[in-house]
Amino acid sequence: MKKNKLSPAARREQNWAYLMVAPTIIGLVVLNLWPFVQTVYTSFCEHLGFGHYRFTGLDNYIQMFQNAEFWRATWNTILFCILTVPVGLFLALLVAMLLNAKIRFKGGFRTIFFLPMVCAPAAVTMVWRFIFNGEYGILNQLFGTRIGWITDPNFVMISCAIVAIWSNIGYDAILLLAGLQNIPKTLYEANSIDGAGPIKQFFTITLPMVSPTLFVVMIMRLMSAVKVYDLIYMMVEETNPAVTSVQSLMYLFYRSSFVAGDRGYGSAIVIWTVLLIGLITVIQFVGQKKWVNYDV
Amino acid sequence: MKKIPRIAALALALTLLLSLCGCGAADGKTHLKFQIWDINQRSGMEAVCAAYTAQHPDVEIEVQVTSWSEYWTKLEAAGESNTMPDIFWMHTDQILYYADFGILADLTDLYDGVEPDYYANHYSDISIGNASGTDGRIYGVPKDKDNVVLVYNKEMFDAAGVSYPDENWTWDDMADASQKIYDATGKYGYMAYNDEQLGYWNFVYQNGGYILDPETNIHAGYTQPATADAIKYYVGLQKNSWCPDQAFFAETSPGTAFFSGMGSMFFEGSWNLLDAMRRYPDLVGKWDIAPLPKCPNPAAGDGAATISNGLCYATAAKGKNLEVVKDVLRFFGSEEGQRIQGESGAAIPAYLGLEDSWTTQFKNFAYMLDVQVCYDQFDTCVQYINNATRRKWKSTVSDEMVRIYNGSDIDQSLVKMQQIADSYVTSD
Amino acid sequence: MKNNSLQTSKTVNTVLTYVFLILGAVIMIFPFVWMILTSFKTVAESNAVDPVVIFPSALRWENFTEAVTSLPFLNLYANTALMIFFRVVCAVLFSSMAGYAFAKLEFKGKNLLFGIVLVQMSLPSQIFIIPQYQMVAKMGLANTIFALVFPGIVSAFGVFFLRQTYMGIPKEIGEAAYLDGCNQWQTFYKVMFPLTGTSVAALTIFTAVFAYSDLMWPLVVNSDLNMMTLSSGLATLRGQFSTNFPVLMAGSLLAMLPMVVLYLIFQKQFIEGIATTGGK
Repeated sequence: MKKNKLSPAARREQNWAYLMVAPTIIGLVVLNLWPFVQTVYTSFCEHLGFGHYRFTGLDNYIQMFQNAEFWRATWNTILFCILTVPVGLFLALLVAMLLNAKIRFKGGFRTIFFLPMVCAPAAVTMVWRFIFNGEYGILNQLFGTRIGWITDPNFVMISCAIVAIWSNIGYDAILLLAGLQNIPKTLYEANSIDGAGPIKQFFTITLPMVSPTLFVVMIMRLMSAVKVYDLIYMMVEETNPAVTSVQSLMYLFYRSSFVAGDRGYGSAIVIWTVLLIGLITVIQFVGQKKWVNYDV
Repeated sequence: MKKIPRIAALALALTLLLSLCGCGAADGKTHLKFQIWDINQRSGMEAVCAAYTAQHPDVEIEVQVTSWSEYWTKLEAAGESNTMPDIFWMHTDQILYYADFGILADLTDLYDGVEPDYYANHYSDISIGNASGTDGRIYGVPKDKDNVVLVYNKEMFDAAGVSYPDENWTWDDMADASQKIYDATGKYGYMAYNDEQLGYWNFVYQNGGYILDPETNIHAGYTQPATADAIKYYVGLQKNSWCPDQAFFAETSPGTAFFSGMGSMFFEGSWNLLDAMRRYPDLVGKWDIAPLPKCPNPAAGDGAATISNGLCYATAAKGKNLEVVKDVLRFFGSEEGQRIQGESGAAIPAYLGLEDSWTTQFKNFAYMLDVQVCYDQFDTCVQYINNATRRKWKSTVSDEMVRIYNGSDIDQSLVKMQQIADSYVTSD
Repeated sequence: MKNNSLQTSKTVNTVLTYVFLILGAVIMIFPFVWMILTSFKTVAESNAVDPVVIFPSALRWENFTEAVTSLPFLNLYANTALMIFFRVVCAVLFSSMAGYAFAKLEFKGKNLLFGIVLVQMSLPSQIFIIPQYQMVAKMGLANTIFALVFPGIVSAFGVFFLRQTYMGIPKEIGEAAYLDGCNQWQTFYKVMFPLTGTSVAALTIFTAVFAYSDLMWPLVVNSDLNMMTLSSGLATLRGQFSTNFPVLMAGSLLAMLPMVVLYLIFQKQFIEGIATTGGK
């Protein structure tokens, strides 16, 4: 508001900017924001059926906050984030760095780490279920244990986290690899003449330079961890004795909106989930100033 | 370098345009879309449609398959925006939601010009019930019917020296046989797991209890003594060493356990039998089916019961081609249409007297499964449990069942299930 | 002496690198190998748990034959290719433009508009399915390629990802171009965009894989099997009650092939990417 009049150059810049963001913003508003606004509205309504609603005020929220299962799901979701995001990002960065190093069979390794992304989800689930099987599973045979990896309430979350990390490493590593490759080689050359070891090199060059990419991957990963649904749905069936220990917010949403047809209540869960993500994102954006390095 | 992608883009853009304009061929025919969810029945449905279009060359019917869960997402969204397929399958779990909301065309008068009381003459009350709305009107042409049977492994019975189950078997006989087989072979006996239609519902009705009050179909009966006793008995089966626990079933379905030789008995729906014969060719002849065991001392009734469900063919109330579609549906519900469906092996036709057309496909195997059991059991069938509010309490009640299996107090949980189901009754 | 220990630690590093990569590769490739093995099994072998059957008793090619005959694979390949192509073009084009604007240009309401991008990322995709289906259905475009592309016309993630990339490019490069007389569009198109090669390649792979693995949307919006994508077409092989896993796996392997080829092509781009941006 300070400058009411922009200089002609600044005005031109602004017009170009609007032109360049227009397709994205229009698309997002129509495809995503408008449905979200509808979701906000329906969270205050009772779904009568086939898209007809009756306004009921805060009823859904009151019902939600009084429900023990809802709080359990909130905690499960947060726990899932804590278990998957840091470890997953660390491993993905490690993989990306190794795949970026001077190694033999680089192409082969890169392809192998890419494979999980295009494997059919049914295949992935099937394999992990064989690995985790409590009586005959490979994991228990390997360690000589008798742990019900997906039926014991104490282990089911860890098992799901392992599968999540496994399936995301490829995605994250590819994005981070791109970040790593944008780092000019000359930086390393200058640095190694100074005699810096690989660990020091990582903290003085690699991490700061890859931090913008790491940041976006982290945000995306956190958001998708809060929204986790598919994986849990495939690994843990509704009659699994451990289902309450792993039920996430979106799992609850799916059951109320799509199975029970209670879209109002389901929408309230979505709003809560989005608020949770918003909170985490704001914290991340404040925190990024401490560690993300933009060359501005 | 840069020109190649541009040419490619142009070519693809053209393809896109062509693909946009490709539909809506003007050949003067009426094109109908018929949506189903089971790929195993596609050829059967196509055969029924082909029989119709052979008589009506001006109509073309395209059978489209979607997977089960997306089917309902799509159908509901289509119902909202009035873009439903011309013909589609309806399931008992869903029909009341659609019918009571006025989405489905009322087909009660479909056969008025053909034969008065057509439905009542050719379809059982259960079939008609499974295709009716809460108002008692008929919203779908009955397609098929099913029930639940006991599948048993003959080799394991032989090894333990136990005679095969027959129509006189009771729960006690099943438990005895299970124990003997377990002692003799180390294999599981009857595999009882947390399921409604293939599990405790059958036991509840055998014992003379009910899930929904048979008079009004409104109030739940979880706390009725006969119901509660049956559920307790069924859940308690897992305490026996011959029955795996729920953690086992969370990883291995009873069917998988049975066909990989881990257990000797489980309950299966008739709709899965043909598939099992085809998928396990090496096991054909090593297993067979029997009627469900009876309750030895029922609180009411004679102790026999099996849950029976069925699908129906439905169409939208606001469909564009309603008159043509009605004619197609009339054919689907005719003796000919039902017979083709039965002979294709898709499912047991709902049409009375045509049940054994379903036997056709079973004759192709070296061993003849005792499918007569399925037909005979229609005499003791109980209609699939459903009412207008069940959709809303279904998953909450099944959560409570999980708690029972996890060791919560059964009586308290049953009270809770009762409250959950009944809470939707009083609110309206 | 010092040189020697440096040499040893380097060898140790190399060995550790390979141990980690090989171990990781084994874990990563395991399901893929399992898919291959399963695709040759009988149903009984694929379901067995006690004991788990690892190797099929024979090479049963009939599973592949059944997969090919029950699905119109040529159409599925074509539809998937078209969907991926259009989604990638849209994602790269629109996201590059918006990412550049958000990173390098000043304009009123920038934070608010970027907020929309972030909000989209935080929304669960399940809430879009019904409204988006209804939009397509009302346009009368269900059962088309357009319907498949529709939700992927814009990519919030792409905008965010490329914004971060542009943020990492020194401002001086753009300013130099501007002083040379380029306008904002030319600066973006001729100078800045070419510098983001590797990120664009990564976004391409990401978008392509994401589109490829999207199950629910194609199943909901297109009901004609001839208009399905590979993943969604395969999903119809799942029965309501039981699934023929060997056939499903055979089909999945056939479906994966083009993706692996595509990846091999783009992963070359990665290596070239080093050459173009590394020298700056």
